[in-house]
Amino acid sequence: MTNSIAEIEEAGCIFVIGSNTTACHPLISRRIFRAKEKGAKLIVADPRNIQLSRFADVAVTHRLGSDVALLNGMMHIIIQNGWHAKDYIAQRTEDYEALEKVVNTYTPDRVQAITGVDQKNLERMAELYATNPPASLLYAMGITQHTTGVDNVKSCCNLAMLCGNVGIRGGGVNPLRGQNNVQGACDMGGLPNVMTGYQPVADPKVMEKFSKAWGKKLSERPGLTITDMIPAMLEGKLKGLYVIGENPKLSDPDWNHLNHALKELDFLVVQELFLSETAQAADVVFSAASVAEKEGTITNTERRCMRMRKAIEPIGNTLSDWEIICKFSTAMGYEMKYENPEEIFNEMRSLTPKSYAGMTYERLGLDGLQWPCPDTNHPGTPYLHKDQFTRGKGKFHDIEYKDPAEMPDKEYPYFLTTGRMFAHFHTGTMTRVSPHLDVEQTTGYVSINPKDAAALEAKEGDVLILTSRRGQIEVPAKLTNSVAPGLLFLPIHFGESPTNVLTNAEAFDPLAKIPEFKVSTVNIRKFSE
Amino acid sequence: MQEQVKEWLEQGKVDIFLGYKMVEGHPLPHFFTKENLAEVNDLITGSVRYPLEKIATKIAAQDPDIRIGLLVRDCNQRALNVLYVWNQLNPENVETISVNCCPSKLKEHADCSYLEPQKSGPYKKKVGVDNNMNLEEVEAYDQQERFTRWIYEFQKCIKCYGCRNICPVCFCKECSLEHDDLINTGDLPPEIPIFHLVRAVHMAGRCIDCGLCEDACPVDIPLRLLYKKVNEIVVDVFDYQTGTSPSQSPFNILGDKVTLELKPISKAA
Amino acid sequence: MDCKIVPSVCSYCGTGCGVLFEVMDGKLVGTMPMKTHPVNEGKLCIKGWNLHEHVNSFMRLKQPLVKTFGRFIKTDWDEAIQLTADRFREIIEKYGPDSIGVLVSAKITNEENYLGQKFARAVIGTNNVDHCARL
Repeated sequence: MTNSIAEIEEAGCIFVIGSNTTACHPLISRRIFRAKEKGAKLIVADPRNIQLSRFADVAVTHRLGSDVALLNGMMHIIIQNGWHAKDYIAQRTEDYEALEKVVNTYTPDRVQAITGVDQKNLERMAELYATNPPASLLYAMGITQHTTGVDNVKSCCNLAMLCGNVGIRGGGVNPLRGQNNVQGACDMGGLPNVMTGYQPVADPKVMEKFSKAWGKKLSERPGLTITDMIPAMLEGKLKGLYVIGENPKLSDPDWNHLNHALKELDFLVVQELFLSETAQAADVVFSAASVAEKEGTITNTERRCMRMRKAIEPIGNTLSDWEIICKFSTAMGYEMKYENPEEIFNEMRSLTPKSYAGMTYERLGLDGLQWPCPDTNHPGTPYLHKDQFTRGKGKFHDIEYKDPAEMPDKEYPYFLTTGRMFAHFHTGTMTRVSPHLDVEQTTGYVSINPKDAAALEAKEGDVLILTSRRGQIEVPAKLTNSVAPGLLFLPIHFGESPTNVLTNAEAFDPLAKIPEFKVSTVNIRKFSE
Repeated sequence: MQEQVKEWLEQGKVDIFLGYKMVEGHPLPHFFTKENLAEVNDLITGSVRYPLEKIATKIAAQDPDIRIGLLVRDCNQRALNVLYVWNQLNPENVETISVNCCPSKLKEHADCSYLEPQKSGPYKKKVGVDNNMNLEEVEAYDQQERFTRWIYEFQKCIKCYGCRNICPVCFCKECSLEHDDLINTGDLPPEIPIFHLVRAVHMAGRCIDCGLCEDACPVDIPLRLLYKKVNEIVVDVFDYQTGTSPSQSPFNILGDKVTLELKPISKAA
Repeated sequence: MDCKIVPSVCSYCGTGCGVLFEVMDGKLVGTMPMKTHPVNEGKLCIKGWNLHEHVNSFMRLKQPLVKTFGRFIKTDWDEAIQLTADRFREIIEKYGPDSIGVLVSAKITNEENYLGQKFARAVIGTNNVDHCARL
């Protein structure tokens, strides 16, 4: 997030797109409700009718994967009406002309044809967003898990900059992170192209610094992303895989494809709390300690680095992930020896000057600190790009709408989208063993509009067979008006009805390599004995 | 206060004392024991409230004979009375130190977090129920409007169960709120208004108006008002004053002839 | 009885709510919201309130496992680590460091992520390190 969670309450307008906030980030939806009750305007754009839609000043259900067209359409109206922040654009941004040229072609008629959102609603969205500063834009995986994920994000940024909403309190472009430490995993260099604090692997100076610190000459060859690793396994280029606390068998885009790939590996080692779907396929499983059994820091979606503390001793013969990595590394001939996580943290911050250098365990306390925090007197940064963008000037991008990889046709006439429900989390490894969460939803389901269900003569709970170009699953129906006719929703938590049997591994964003989980097409029929 | 606690711990009058301690700038519940007597110097009354008596019931469930001391404000004392009458805590094993948290004329039903009430925003005042209202003010709305306003509030519910989980007098092993035959599970928001009404009904003769539920509600539903209403009915019909005394039978509200027996404190699963 | 309250951070979504773990005699018995935490101000969602349940689950792995003839056998750390290190070394010798991939995690700590990528880069010698940010 460019801004902080608490600042959402100070917004004049909140635009939620591609985030079912009440279910997936409930304590952020709290801020949205509070802002709304204080008088902020609320815009919700989501292919489904979500809980927040009921409270919105304008709520639209745009067609799956049509976000760029919707956002360009809003910008078209904003510019036509002169609502854009002209001074801000002139002083703080560049390439505005290119943006204007593209969005000029996104007339309300054209946008309606693509998105299904009518002119009146589009105008209302544009007006509310542009005329109630500061406006905070919130999004989640509904924006990013597309073949056009990067385009979608850039379009969100375009809109925010167009109205001068980046670099101000209460505004911003605010992606809501789905995992407790996805921000931290990125910050720590858990990516093939960057080291800690996004220092590029391609920069020889950076690699020299790390080589020196770690006492080993480091490779400058770019690495593979998770999306690239799968074909590499199939081609026999990737032979060994060390998976720490992930369950790609259920979270990756194509179950069958990945299953095949994992079998091609010479050796798979998985470090886990539970014998997850992926751990079951492993040659060796390392038993890891849980959140309550270890020390360390995590960085939340608002860049706040906070300390987790050990409450109990590790259960059974489990070890903290850091201890396992140290043992493994030492056995591989590279001695890693740390007294405690604080020592690791201090090594990390000494190599991460711009963002983490000023944080110490003592300073973090219970409140944590938000990066950038470059020195030990720095109070942390509640919102980014205050007087200047990190890169200097904010760059507008001219983005054209592109269809998702799959559109409904005769053979596969239904749109399918995937996501989370409120009581479960990700692949369900942690929540399905939790009695109070399991009681809410014990099995997978598919949300289907009652009209579509009637056409299949299917009642609540009847088993439907969903078929895509990749595979087929059987799953009970849940009748709901939250999805329009022609649209189905599958939660991702349930291994017995794995969404990634249906979703498309071939379709991913060319730059971010994020799979298009949010759009695929399927056919359905009722199961009969 | 600190001297008193030290004395109790040293003399074995209590085995454990529940109070608050400042931890890195945050007042957190803390367990003081004889083994760490010096820590008692850090005992504070705390500017926030946690359900200390609920934590006490968890301790008692693990070890029914343990002698527990705790800091109590008016609301904690009322909660303790309810827990005594429902046999969830044995009053003989509980020692309290009273903290006067309510230096106001509202003493009876005031508590610290409400001495300076949060302001409700204009939109909430327009369509919802202002958390600062009293029952008469809400009941001044005509029935249709009242209903619409409450439905607005319930629709915000994110089904965290925080109202139940924080509640010092919610101790049932099985909860109707999770019963699929009564309320659909797995829906968000939970089935409206039945989810909240089922909880409200169960608060009749139980709720001691401490306000922790409303404090824990992520979406600011004025739960306290709702439970005040059901308790008002209990007072009117049965003259049952919830939490005011440790001796009244909870079955007063069922009528005179009921001879049900309380089940003993059961060890937590 | 040994009781304590331990402040920590919820490990479900990216919001990062402050929680208090209730510990009695070394057992985790409950989770409460931290009232004064800047993120959640004393409130939690259904997952946060039940954070302790997955920790206590009987389904938890309690020791390292090694697969032999298609079945998992319980083992100790020395054997599990040594076996894995030997196999990884064989693979590196035969196919080079880029034949190994490491998936770090959005569910482990910063310190562990830091070590995970250090492991890939300094120990294995590859930049094949990623996690499920995309998923």
